[in-house]
This record gives sequence, structure tokens and C-alpha cells, in this order.
Amino acid sequence: MAAPPSRRPLPASPPGRTRRTAGTVTSIIGVFVLVLVSLQLFLLMVALDAAITLDDGLAWASALASVVLGACAAFLYGYLRRFQR
Amino acid sequence: MSSSDSPRDRSRRDAPGQRQAPEASSSGGRAAGAEGTGEEAAGADGPGEAVWRRDFPVPAAGEEEVTRREFVRYLTLASGGLAVATLGVGAWTSLQEPAPRRPKAIAALDDVPVGGEHLFRYPTEEDPAILLRPAVDEVRAFSQRCTHLACLVVWERADGHLVCPCHHGTFDAADGRVLAGPPERPLSPIDLEVRDGVVWAVGGGGH
Repeated sequence: MAAPPSRRPLPASPPGRTRRTAGTVTSIIGVFVLVLVSLQLFLLMVALDAAITLDDGLAWASALASVVLGACAAFLYGYLRRFQR
Repeated sequence: MSSSDSPRDRSRRDAPGQRQAPEASSSGGRAAGAEGTGEEAAGADGPGEAVWRRDFPVPAAGEEEVTRREFVRYLTLASGGLAVATLGVGAWTSLQEPAPRRPKAIAALDDVPVGGEHLFRYPTEEDPAILLRPAVDEVRAFSQRCTHLACLVVWERADGHLVCPCHHGTFDAADGRVLAGPPERPLSPIDLEVRDGVVWAVGGGGH
């Protein structure tokens, strides 16, 4: 009989943190990111309106705000990945 | 292989793709053909431990959590895409240069009746504008594009308003300011001069 192959252990839940808590945190962060994406959609509409009237000041302000919101979403996703490790 | 680990039990634990053929299971000794494979080794490690768990080490209780995390991941990607799109719109807007304002003859003053209007284009042929003559010695002109969503406004003489038929944005025909409706900015006025009985546009207008 051949030797059994080595196997990795199943991932264990972090100590002191239940799976339900992890799921709740995931849901909350998901809702946060969903709100951020909704705001970015609104900002894209504002930028398009500004483009119609060639108001580049308003268009750039919208773009800057959208980038900030995108960075917030990326931070939250990074936090979620660290949290679940 | 332990004596209690029958081929039938093993086929129940293993993944569907790794199940043995029915004829192999029914023949008892023929099931030993799996010896030396991962299936055999998994059975030797104890009950409930199958090889397929190595390749898919996510317990059933955590599947919902993984799905939510993936959803957040896609949302984050969408967020980045929206940010890039908005940046692109800003860059495109900055690259657009406003049309030069060159003086342009619009119409002879006598051709515009008192209380009437005359449509023209200024500063380019893609910029519709409207000339109003509310009194004998008074002319005004505005860009005809509504500042809400660029529909063309029309003059309602009775009220003295310029009205956008799309969303009922209402502007004062005296100075172009917003009176009602969704527009936030006033109509763009056009600077006029009357030279030898001809109305000239000399600036303003456009967006």
C-alpha cells in the first residue's frame, strides 16, 4: 500500500470569533460598499451633466470624490480579507 | 485498508466524480483496484476525511460567507470601474475647448417683430440660440439649450418665460435665471450689438 499523501488541514475559525460573527461583518461591509457604489453612480451622472455644459471644475470635483469613495471601498474589501484570515 | 471500510461506504464518502463503478463496488475484491490511490489513502485516515476535501476545503457552513465575500469583491471592482469612468469624463471635459466667440450677424432688426423671436446658432452651428424682441428698442438673446439636460427652450410670450418642454424648467426671459423646474443654472446669455439696423452676436452663449 502506498503511503498516504500529505494533506493540508482544513482552515480553522479564528479563535474567539464565530462563523456567524464573520458572516455579519461581511454583510455589513457589503452594505457599506453597496452604498459607496451607489454614490459613485450618482457622481458619474453629475460628471456627465458637467460634461454637457463643459463645466470641467464640477467634472473634476466629481471624479475626485468618486476616487475617494473607490479607495474607501477597496480599503473595506482589504479589511474584510484580513478579517477572514 | 481497514476491514470495516467496505467499498460501498467508501463510495458514499467520496466525491461523485471519484466514485467507483457499480460493478467494481459489487464485486467486493475488485474494489481493491483503488489501492494506492488517494481514495484509498483517504479512507485510511479515518471516517469523514475524503480526498476531495483537499481540493475543496470549504465547509458547507461557510459557503454562504464565501458568496458574500465574492459579492463584495465584485462590488469593489465595480467601484474602481466607476471611479475610472468618472475620471475619464473629467479628463474629456477638460480637453474640450470652448468655441471662439466671433462677432456674427444674426438678423436685421426690422425682420424681428416686436414681441417676436428669431432662432439662430451661436457661437457655432451646433449651438442653437434664441433672439427675443420684447419691446421696440429692446433685444435679448440666450442659448436655447436648457441647462438641465440640453433640451431646447421655447418662448412663452404670455408669461414672459422661456420654458423647457422636456421637464418644464422655466427661465425668466429678462435675464435667463431659473424660475422653476429642475435646472440649477441660468440660461447662457448672448451679448448683442445693433449695428446699422443689424443685430450682431458678439460674445457669450454656448454651454
